[in-house]
Amino acid sequence: MNASFKLIGLLVVLFIAAPLVIVVPMSLSSAPSLQFPPPGYWLGYYAQYFSDPTWLRPTFNSIVIALANTVLTMLLVVPATFALVRHKFWGKSLANIMMMMPMAVPHIVMAIGYYSYFGQLGIVFSKLGVILAHTCLSVPITFLVLSANLKGFDRTLERAARSLGATPSQTFIHVTLPILRPGLLISSLFAFIQSFDETVVAIFISGRNAETLPRKMFDSIRQDADPVIAVISTLLFLVVLAGLLAPHVLRLTRRLFGRPATHTEPRS
Amino acid sequence: MTSYLQLSGLNKTFGTFTALEDVNLDVQKGEFITFLGPSGSGKTTTLMIIAGFEKATHGAITLEGQSIAALAPQDRNIGIVFQNYALFPHKTAEENVYFPLQMRKVKRAEGMAQARKMLDLVGLGGFEHRYPKELSGGQQQRVALARALVFEPDLLLLDEPLGALDKNLRESMQIEIKRIQKTLGVTTIFVTHDQTEAMSMSDRIVVFSNGRIEQAGAPLDIYHKPSTRFVADFIGESNLVPATITDPAAQTADSPLLGAMSYAAEGAPAVRAGQEVTLVLRPEHLKLSRAPLEGYHSAQMKIETIVNFGDSGLVIGHKDGTQLRVRVPGVDVVILQEGDDCYVNWTQEHVYLVQE
Repeated sequence: MNASFKLIGLLVVLFIAAPLVIVVPMSLSSAPSLQFPPPGYWLGYYAQYFSDPTWLRPTFNSIVIALANTVLTMLLVVPATFALVRHKFWGKSLANIMMMMPMAVPHIVMAIGYYSYFGQLGIVFSKLGVILAHTCLSVPITFLVLSANLKGFDRTLERAARSLGATPSQTFIHVTLPILRPGLLISSLFAFIQSFDETVVAIFISGRNAETLPRKMFDSIRQDADPVIAVISTLLFLVVLAGLLAPHVLRLTRRLFGRPATHTEPRS
Repeated sequence: MTSYLQLSGLNKTFGTFTALEDVNLDVQKGEFITFLGPSGSGKTTTLMIIAGFEKATHGAITLEGQSIAALAPQDRNIGIVFQNYALFPHKTAEENVYFPLQMRKVKRAEGMAQARKMLDLVGLGGFEHRYPKELSGGQQQRVALARALVFEPDLLLLDEPLGALDKNLRESMQIEIKRIQKTLGVTTIFVTHDQTEAMSMSDRIVVFSNGRIEQAGAPLDIYHKPSTRFVADFIGESNLVPATITDPAAQTADSPLLGAMSYAAEGAPAVRAGQEVTLVLRPEHLKLSRAPLEGYHSAQMKIETIVNFGDSGLVIGHKDGTQLRVRVPGVDVVILQEGDDCYVNWTQEHVYLVQE
């Protein structure tokens, strides 16, 4: 009974996760377009990715846009989160709904909206346009992560800092910010990934000048199914994997080489 | 001579709710004062007003003759130990203790040395580099104390700091806090709802109830001369006996339960004949006997329950449907039997008349 449940679980995981891993052999394939199973193996498409400007330029665009989006999102969301979590004001629930709207409205609808709206403003097909649109899309998820963090923050710590002689701004810099740092890092990461992954809006408004990596991959799939797509997927997969494993590796090395965290009684 | 810390006519209202009503208190330099009361009695609100985190609706607050009401918390030079310690989780023990010095622009090397000295004083030498989560509750408590004292505050406020500790640790921390307070001579206000803590640590106890000060005085004075029914009930165990005043000049009253009796003159409030009052009898001031004792007032009762604590016992008897509690030395508990008829005996000086 128990064993068969485990088997079913394993099969489900395999079935769902297989597409994530299948890109790895495909990226090493020698076939002229995406194909599984690969007829042979070589590293040629990796070399092609790192030397072809039609791939490198969108990669660069994506990184620039994602970084700018992260900075802009955080500049908007951090103060907004403090206001919405810590203060009472008129129209607060409306503001809360507005913050979450981009998550509810389908991206395709927003993409059409931005296409015509930014067209009027003359910033369609520019990096600025993509950055602004992505920022709007990044707000809900960053806000969710950050507000959960801030709600769990013990405000007695701020009172303690004040009683110890810190001004409100010193309290923010020395106490609030460092304690919220993990939450800030994670929400920035979410903002970055949100932008880096975003395809629908990018297809509509990135144009030739601001072409992002997902948009280029989408175009390439429609035209020639270039196996470089598998190369990029594999590389992204490895980056994420490294990011997920990093804390565990750090903890392990600390345990092996660091000082032990044992409790002993104070010497008297 | 003006007092060191003076609270006069403090009022605090939150909307329609009155949290504090006419709180007046003089604290002398070096005193260890305890604010005692149930939760919601106003003791913490008073503490927060002194610390600067709440503003009084009315009233004045002065430290060494200077009004501090307009000062921000960071400008008051008051050390606070919070109930949950509020240690900065991202700083080590010594960095936590160095923080107030850092805010006072003390150079790092010098400040860290002072921090370590203070950690030594609270018995935490050798734990400087631990983070709060690597310390036990009692150790965190000591770090919080060191942090609140390292900058030589004018006042030390302790907000129920022992609430989260287990009984044995709490007792040793009581002695420890008292020792450190004496060593440094810092004027201290300690907030608690635990009467034994208040009795064992304080120079003076201020009893709060419903936003008012019920009584302020030395622990034994409060214990032996409770001025209100609330204080008598809240501090120590009490038998509260309803009675009617017969002659205020002769301190006599008539109790339906214990008959005609007289009460202690000292500390008794002004009353008139015929007034309904409450008389207080401490269980340990009552004596049990088989026959009425010579020189005592006596009343008969039936023993209902005996609780033996070893060193002493609590005998709960019934008289006319009302409970009477008598504290009996341990050696005497064993000769008593539930269901026995016996006499309760007391003397006049142990009957306190209290205000409602």
